[in-house]
Amino acid sequence: MSHFKEFKIKWGMVIDIDKCTGCGACMVGCQVENNIAPMTKSDPYNYVQALTKPRDDASNKLRTLTWMNVYELSNGKSFPEHETAYLPRPCMQCGNPACVPVCPVVATDKNEEGGIVSQIYPRCIGCRYCMAACPYHARYFNWWDPLWPEGMDKGLSPSTSVRPRGVVEKCNFCHSRYLEAKDKARLDGEDPMNLPEGAYTTACADICPTKAITFGDLNNPEHKVHELIQSPNAFRLLEKLGLHPQVYYMSEREWVRKQGDNYNAEAGGHH
Amino acid sequence: MSVARRTFIQLGAGATVGILFTPTVWKALDDVSIWTQNWPWIPKLKYGAVEAKPTVSKMCESGCAVKVRTVAGEAFGTMGNVDNPLSGGGICPLCANGVQVKNSPNRIKAPMLDGQEISWEKAQEVVAEKLAAAGSKVAVISGDQTGTVNEVFSALLNDKGSDAFYVMPCDMQAADKAWTGLMGGAGQVGYDLEGADLVLLAGADALESWGPTVANLKSFAANESGKFIFAGPMQTKTASVTSKWVPVPAEGMAAFTLGLAYYVLQAGKTVGAADFDLFRSMVMSEYSPAKVEAATGVKADQMAALAKQLLTASNPVVVPAGPVAAHGAAFALNLLLGGAMKALPEFAKAIPSAMSRSEMLRADILDGVNTDLLFVYEANPAYALPEKIKAGFTVAFDMVQTETTATANLVLPSLHPYERFDDLASPYGLAAATYSLGVPVSKPSVNAANAATFILGLADLGFETFEEVLGAKVDAIGADMDALQGGEAFVVEGETPVAASLAANVLGKAAVPVKGTGAVGLVPYTLLSVGTANRATTPNAPCTISNNQLVGDHMVVMMGSATAKQLGVSVGSMVKLSGGKGECEALVQIFEGVMPGVVAAPLGLGHTVGDEFSKGKGDNVYKILTVSSEAAAGASTWAGSTVNVAKI
Ligand code: SF4
Ligand code: SF4
Repeated sequence: MSHFKEFKIKWGMVIDIDKCTGCGACMVGCQVENNIAPMTKSDPYNYVQALTKPRDDASNKLRTLTWMNVYELSNGKSFPEHETAYLPRPCMQCGNPACVPVCPVVATDKNEEGGIVSQIYPRCIGCRYCMAACPYHARYFNWWDPLWPEGMDKGLSPSTSVRPRGVVEKCNFCHSRYLEAKDKARLDGEDPMNLPEGAYTTACADICPTKAITFGDLNNPEHKVHELIQSPNAFRLLEKLGLHPQVYYMSEREWVRKQGDNYNAEAGGHH
Repeated sequence: MSVARRTFIQLGAGATVGILFTPTVWKALDDVSIWTQNWPWIPKLKYGAVEAKPTVSKMCESGCAVKVRTVAGEAFGTMGNVDNPLSGGGICPLCANGVQVKNSPNRIKAPMLDGQEISWEKAQEVVAEKLAAAGSKVAVISGDQTGTVNEVFSALLNDKGSDAFYVMPCDMQAADKAWTGLMGGAGQVGYDLEGADLVLLAGADALESWGPTVANLKSFAANESGKFIFAGPMQTKTASVTSKWVPVPAEGMAAFTLGLAYYVLQAGKTVGAADFDLFRSMVMSEYSPAKVEAATGVKADQMAALAKQLLTASNPVVVPAGPVAAHGAAFALNLLLGGAMKALPEFAKAIPSAMSRSEMLRADILDGVNTDLLFVYEANPAYALPEKIKAGFTVAFDMVQTETTATANLVLPSLHPYERFDDLASPYGLAAATYSLGVPVSKPSVNAANAATFILGLADLGFETFEEVLGAKVDAIGADMDALQGGEAFVVEGETPVAASLAANVLGKAAVPVKGTGAVGLVPYTLLSVGTANRATTPNAPCTISNNQLVGDHMVVMMGSATAKQLGVSVGSMVKLSGGKGECEALVQIFEGVMPGVVAAPLGLGHTVGDEFSKGKGDNVYKILTVSSEAAAGASTWAGSTVNVAKI
């Protein structure tokens, strides 16, 4: 059964792996934009700290909270044939998301125009079915209360409310920026359903110093992404699963394209 | 009437079905989650006008042009500044966390004398007294490569009859020693990464931490037709996006570059320098491909192919890093090729008695510093140069606590770049002389002051405040203050470089690889997400550090499988690296992008002072670097460091 729903506007990303240096600026930018707390070891509100285990800090990669994550790829060859590449991974905002049908409380959905998969935090009961379902590991459970060391909560971004411990979080293509862009278009007497290139962009695309990330409406021929996804070098991750991700990747390197498709490019997975 | 069990079950089932078909359960669950999620320590957001104000960031030595995002006047984020050529709209992971560093509890809150809080007036008295007593035995270590703040410090030194101005070891210094020192060139060397059709990064990991990183990344992105090639001992992040990686040992980079020059000379390229003939015969006899292959392990045919690419390119450029000799060799090669290397004019000084940039780069900090009174400005020599610095009394200016502020006698909190006036003059590596201005875009959150203004209060240098100095600077260079304050840069194009000599005498001797006696070579590398010699990992960055650098609290070193076999270690082995005068502990990771016989280790970990995001994470690789002397070039270098590796 397919849940595939077409949208007039389909926000998407094209990430050029041949330009990404894996610097991590997008990850930091994403955390700042979306008020993801830096992970701290101690919790001043836990009065029985001495009796409980310390919180995990960001050195524990199993419990980090990073809506955007950069993976390191290797062609698997030994010196000197070795090659390496970096793959930034936001939520793919799948056209046919695996995470949506499994949610027992409808805390996640793909309904709004734009094709962004939403996550309604106050509804989320933290059952983590969606995490298990998402093949891209794009969802994160927040194990710890979001704490900013003394004084650091002064600098919270106004975009996204802070989520409490115990819910599943994910990238939403900086949805608040979409709302702002639409509002601005209305105020300026322009059509909010036909935003020009650049009127709405995500924090990671904005910050990327090599402009490896291009953001736009995949359906809009006036947006760069529309053209980029036609490239023979464009591919989507695990395409064979049929989730129809709205995030595309590009690489001139064949081994990268193959890995992106889980080594299955020849097996007919690549559309 | 009693309710039969059967009826009860029916009722129950009906009720359940009923609930499932009404929205009540969703609402109830919603409420439950809202109430269980509504803790008092979940911070509330601030609302108000959102703005983006241009200024400069000094998170790394080069600095960057940024816009600070504010909500109701409070800074919350940093973005690039498209109007400034230093940025092109993007920023690096250090700048991306600039506001978080500003708000960090690790900020120094007030002046501290021997651990006791004092007033700024008292601090001024103490320093004035120490200055009077020190006579000319005063030195400055600056962690800023581009600021006019250096003019203030060097003018103070001049006033005291001292020329002991030190910068932390950097490529800008090695380049200046080679270019103006050995080759008689004028101006500051720059590289047109955007306009070149072939860029050979000879050790310069320009796309991750070398030079003005963000400007380099922008040029890389904008250069559609250019080919980038990286040469160096490991496949850095830079190498992951260049079209080719040529493995060359760090200490062999100068010889490798002269090996390329061999082919270029053979093709008949000449340049008008006094010692051209000497240079030519030196290269032809000492740096023949066979000899270079024997010394560095780089295959002759590989060099021939590269030289051919350089010769057929219309605007090639070679970008060096490391020792002075490697810089001299690259400059000679660039002069022969006549490509995209530039010589940038130096901007006029604001303070006449200040040193020129070249004069500031002259003293060699790796030789050691010994003075009565030492000013350290936003640098961390106690972390990166352990055992090199000796001072009777140390005054450290910094925003946050570091190993240096922890050991200094007097600690003076400096304003964060977003809270102060500052500037950026021609970060090293740019192809054009570029001047940008920083203005306060956020209120100071601690009792900090502008370091330069503090210094101006100690001697009569003709200015009362740093703001006045910057005004004079802008006038002197002929820029427009309003445009600068609006975030634009003042740009003067670079010129075609001319050198008096190719330093044939020096390069003939200095380009031969010098390597330590340890079992394997050590390749230290810098990632901005990990930090720099002066700045530790920023609060949100730890999750961006991969397990090739850090696992839990353990540093990770990378080596190829052949090296691991030779050392008898495997993935996850805990090892002790010993070199220089110290030791480090690390876990082993196999990464085939490291040349055989070397181990790659990340610089910037292992802080003993600082916040919970950097302190106690990994080990400090600066401890195991060995300083060796580039005798012929009259300089010291860390290239050629080696270590012994023991399994523990
Ligand atoms: S900011 Fe850009 S270059 Fe850096 S890791 Fe992200 S996508 Fe890659
Ligand atoms: S990437 Fe995962 S979380 Fe995102 S829409 Fe697809 S299945 Fe859902």
